[in-house]
Amino acid sequence: MIETKNLTKTFDRFTAVDSLNLKIEKGEFFGLLGPNGAGKTTTIGLLSTLLLPTEGEILINGQVLTRSRPELKRKISVVTQEYSMRQDMNMDEIMEYQGRLYFMPRKKIKARTDELLDFCGLKDFRKRHVRKLSGGMKRKLMVCRALLTDPEIMLLDEPTTGMDALSRRQMWNLLRQLNQQGLTILLTTHYMEEAQTLCGRVALMDRGRLETIDTPEGLIQSLGKFAVDEITQEGTRSRFFHSREEAIAALSQVSGRCTLRDTTLEDVFVERAGRRLTPS
Amino acid sequence: MGIITILWEKWVEFRRDFYKITLAAMVAPLMYLIVFGLGIQTTSHGEPYLNYLIPGVVSLTTMNGSFNAIAQNLNVQRLYEKAFDQVLISPTPLWQFIAGQILGGALRGLYAGGVILFLTAPIQTGLVFSPVSIFILFLNGAVFSAVGVVVSFVAKNHADVPRFSSYIIMPMSYLCNTFFSTEKIPGIPGLIIEYLPLSQTSRMIRAIASGEEAGLYGIGVLLIYLAVLSFISSWFIYKKKNL
Repeated sequence: MIETKNLTKTFDRFTAVDSLNLKIEKGEFFGLLGPNGAGKTTTIGLLSTLLLPTEGEILINGQVLTRSRPELKRKISVVTQEYSMRQDMNMDEIMEYQGRLYFMPRKKIKARTDELLDFCGLKDFRKRHVRKLSGGMKRKLMVCRALLTDPEIMLLDEPTTGMDALSRRQMWNLLRQLNQQGLTILLTTHYMEEAQTLCGRVALMDRGRLETIDTPEGLIQSLGKFAVDEITQEGTRSRFFHSREEAIAALSQVSGRCTLRDTTLEDVFVERAGRRLTPS
Repeated sequence: MGIITILWEKWVEFRRDFYKITLAAMVAPLMYLIVFGLGIQTTSHGEPYLNYLIPGVVSLTTMNGSFNAIAQNLNVQRLYEKAFDQVLISPTPLWQFIAGQILGGALRGLYAGGVILFLTAPIQTGLVFSPVSIFILFLNGAVFSAVGVVVSFVAKNHADVPRFSSYIIMPMSYLCNTFFSTEKIPGIPGLIIEYLPLSQTSRMIRAIASGEEAGLYGIGVLLIYLAVLSFISSWFIYKKKNL
């Protein structure tokens, strides 16, 4: 289980994460969502010990996580938002380096590398240097690398950014499978559809603070399951209703162009954060 | 175990860039030897100046080889490639990462110095390089690898490492008992330079090469530098909040 207690991170006078209290249960698929600058990546940085907190602490299975706790760090794998690989190594070397950093036996590194590169369709490119890979391939390689060490917890910071639609769907299936096998996943994403599809619970962050935690369905329900979009010259205005009947009644009163649709997680964000949250 | 991982990483890098690394290690020292040793033929203490020069050039080559192998590489990994993040996240004890960098850098420095020794071997100088000399060169490399680790952690952008090299490493190459004795530098500057690690290394290597008493207290000085720099590196990697 991951728990943060009063977790705070400031950079000079800017507070990126502000007194974050979060509990993620074992085996959970948890989404951390919010607009740019909400503090999601900083939170992942803190949970992975890339950054050290200004205040507060992180507990993994009840034990305080620090940079000098290898037994806890072994449980965690991270896919960072930025590419974080040596450009002058090939895929095999990247995987071997990772395996060695996690003290895996060489035979196991080799076997798992074969398996993961094959699964992600990267096997034919295994001798290619990272600098010569496409963005999507790099992203997949980072996921393979994170899975190599059989982690208990996986922190994914916008893992599907830069992937084409097909690769993204494949990645979703992979993550779902891994979660079903018991892997605890913390995901940050700008793709609301991704969070809605994958996550059991999501937390909304804004300006470093935790706004709310609920299931995607719960959040949608709280806003109203049905949305009516009224398209005017000023833009699109959305209204939300708890029943289809209410929505249809509202629709009949609109004179211009309008649509009736299901409310999405993105609507919840837009309403709560007061900003448009589209992929950047 | 973590140290082996870092040495493996250094080996992968060395194997891939073998020719580039070897050539880079050769060019500047060979120029010094050709220009100051063979071109401008002078004598020092009644002996060919080349005999004075070779131990200094081997020492400074070790310094450059070690510093360059670590500082720029680690800086790029930290600021540009972000590959350092994976090390920080991993369960590899971070002191082992630092120890691996220092050892790997020392070996690279020793290799660079070895190349120069190999190239100057045909010149009949009568200089002697013993296992103690090799140990001192290794220690010198370790000190400058540790300098490289600290500089790469302090650097805020890609230009900082070459800048440090221009302001600190390059002047040391010329002033630290390499081309002339530090005794010729007067007053406090002379005293400070005398106790810089390269000055101690050059002095000991030259003394051993000439069959004189080396005054091995210099090994103690190098060990103190190594301990202090290792401590600073460890502080950065364990305690710095935004590395």
